[in-house]
Amino acid sequence: MATTANSGLQITNLDFGSIKLSLKNFLQNQDTLKDYNFDGSALSVLVDLLAYNTQYNAYYLNMVANEMFLDSAVQRNSVVSHAKMLNYIPKSAAAPKAVIKLVVNGVSGATLSIPKNTPFISEAIDNINYTFLTSDSTTIAVSSNTATFNDLQIIQGLYSAIVYTVNTTANPSLIFQIPEAAVDTSTILVSVQESSTNLISQTFTQASDYTTLTPSSKVYFLQEGTNGKYEIYFGDGILGSLLINNNVVNITYVTTNGTASFGANSFTLLSPIAGYSNTVITSIDSATLGGDKESIASIKYTAPKAYAAQGRAVTKEDYIYLIQNNSTNLPIESVSVWGGEENVPPVYGQLFCAIKPSGGFTLTQTQKERLISEVIRPISVLTVTPTIVDPDYTFVKIDSTVYFDARKTTYNSGQINQIVKSAISNFASSTLNTFNSTFKMPQLITSIQSSDLSIITNESTIRLQKKIYPSLNSATTYFLDFGTKLKRNYYNAGVSSYPDFSVRDINSSNAIRTGVLFEEVPTSIGGVASINVVNQGFGYTKIPTVKITGDGIGATAYAVLAGGRVNSIVITDPGLNYTEAIVTITPASGDSSGALAFANATLEGSLGTLRTYYYSNNIKIILNSDAGSVDYAKGMVTLTNFAPIAINDPLGQFTISVVPNSTIVSSTFNKIVALDQFDPEAITVTVTASQ
Amino acid sequence: MAQTLNKLYADLDFSFTRTPGKNDIALSYDEMAVIRSVRYLLLTKNYERPFQSNIGSRIEQLLFEPLDYLTAQSLKTEIETVVNNFEPRVNLIQVTIYEKSEDNAYSVSLEFYIGNNVEPTAINIILERTR
Repeated sequence: MATTANSGLQITNLDFGSIKLSLKNFLQNQDTLKDYNFDGSALSVLVDLLAYNTQYNAYYLNMVANEMFLDSAVQRNSVVSHAKMLNYIPKSAAAPKAVIKLVVNGVSGATLSIPKNTPFISEAIDNINYTFLTSDSTTIAVSSNTATFNDLQIIQGLYSAIVYTVNTTANPSLIFQIPEAAVDTSTILVSVQESSTNLISQTFTQASDYTTLTPSSKVYFLQEGTNGKYEIYFGDGILGSLLINNNVVNITYVTTNGTASFGANSFTLLSPIAGYSNTVITSIDSATLGGDKESIASIKYTAPKAYAAQGRAVTKEDYIYLIQNNSTNLPIESVSVWGGEENVPPVYGQLFCAIKPSGGFTLTQTQKERLISEVIRPISVLTVTPTIVDPDYTFVKIDSTVYFDARKTTYNSGQINQIVKSAISNFASSTLNTFNSTFKMPQLITSIQSSDLSIITNESTIRLQKKIYPSLNSATTYFLDFGTKLKRNYYNAGVSSYPDFSVRDINSSNAIRTGVLFEEVPTSIGGVASINVVNQGFGYTKIPTVKITGDGIGATAYAVLAGGRVNSIVITDPGLNYTEAIVTITPASGDSSGALAFANATLEGSLGTLRTYYYSNNIKIILNSDAGSVDYAKGMVTLTNFAPIAINDPLGQFTISVVPNSTIVSSTFNKIVALDQFDPEAITVTVTASQ
Repeated sequence: MAQTLNKLYADLDFSFTRTPGKNDIALSYDEMAVIRSVRYLLLTKNYERPFQSNIGSRIEQLLFEPLDYLTAQSLKTEIETVVNNFEPRVNLIQVTIYEKSEDNAYSVSLEFYIGNNVEPTAINIILERTR
């Protein structure tokens, strides 16, 4: 049949069209069957069939090859299996935790115990009521027939138990599956009973350090199975104790709905505690700090890093990984780590970690202590002392004015407003709210612009805010570091505060003034105050020229020589609006020997002043003309001896807001540039339709 | 193999029978090959061939439309389109179609030249829905 059989056959093609073409080229080499080029021919159908089959196999093999590598695998079971090679167990769902105060009335007896897994029901969140359980049993003393459980921790989930009997014939690998995929693995408890008749039982714990395992270690191993469910298996008699036939394995665990129950803060007891049902429940912390099962993308990202860290914290990345994947199952959104030598001021031998938990702003003291004692200390270098510091939030308040073409859209201005607001909050969640994040105005403008086709243009401005909870009735000085240069004397809209507060007037026999606010004194204009000669130089034969450069205008000065050296520099005009000024001394023309003179400028008004004021009968009255200061160059606002009696905010939150000098705001160390999702005024959008 | 040299077109026969007197698969040649190709094209639906959704026609769909002149004309257009698009060997002279309302079927006859043949070829097909 074919004379040169293989000349036209290409074997590297992967798509249907190329494979078919290659088969046709191959058929050109023979003359028995000539109709391969005509789509209606029987031969064409046969060629189609061959090409389809070849393409199917090629695709299949390609997918198989993809699944062989962690980087390209897409199936969860492949990714989990690759992670297992790196000794990484994907994180399970984590039950959100809430803290309540439970008061039981009418109790007789000296003590009252609340058992572990006592169920509570939450209020409806998106029409679903969630069950919460006590995470431990607690016993307290009863006083005056009342038992008060303070700080009772409850976790969201349902308690389940499963019993397996060991049968090495039916299940020789001794792998026991937990039937629910949504299990929180930190709640798993495993005990093994000798047999159904011999009730002696031993608790098994999860194996962690394989070097310490002996043939009698009572440990179990945890893995995610091929169907996404967790599996428990036991030792082989060398690494960990081996189970024998008729042993009874009891597994108890809690399955959770993960992040769905976030925010639950109203709970009802489902059944009486020891017969007492007269209870009062107060929420202390709403449900937070839970998490969903680890995603495929997250496993692909984290597993190699876990392998790189090798369970030891040495490099910065090790700490970040180990804190983010802590064994206490505390969900962490972002971590920043820096050495004490980088700190300002340097603290040698210390390591600083700033941690932002998921769904919250700061960790509690107990959580910090647990992280240090259980997660960081056991694996960190002996001489390094870890310290957890709270993140320092700088909130961005975005004001945007949007113009849109009403003819290009069916949306009204209210809907455009919503679209722009959600575009801004999407922008914030993708670029802000983590350590080392940077706010960039051009990015924001692009996000708004691309949120709807009808938007013609937008003008956006930002203010930066610090939110503090001032202690009442005690004079405290607050240092608010915005970490970026501030705009000075900004049309009387520079530094401001809200809400108003009340304070004692020391000038008027401690009378209480209400409705008091902070403002920037509008006269802090900065020129060059003085110039200090650091190095007089030598060999000047003529008076050198002195040039002052910086971000202000108009400063001029001249040099005074004495014995060929610059003795002093006299300012002729201090200029305006300097936040930095550089003095350059250049030898006059014809002076070939003058050199090395160097001077520094000191600015006047580089510090602005804050004052407090209030209105009395619509007349503005200055209460304290020196209530604080603003360092524009360092971005530091200081409230000096601030002692409010009350803050006009239900939570006692007090906000100082400033205007940054630049529209790019970045963060380092423990600073986070964030958009406050709980503040309804964090984003304000004004929409104008242009016809 | 030498006997195929003077044949212009040679295709497999879909009956997959044996060539009489030989132990080889039956082939169809020239005119017969083209006629079978045309028949096969008419019976192919769009999306039937993998990755080549454009090969085929709506003929089968049209058979389920009311049997009338309009449908018949649509059928005629479909037949002309599919033959002109996918059978370059055929030079269509005309397609005649009439409704056989008593049988719920259409009688189609195609007249065409094959390649540079001087003699036209004609085929008759009855198009009838079978379910």
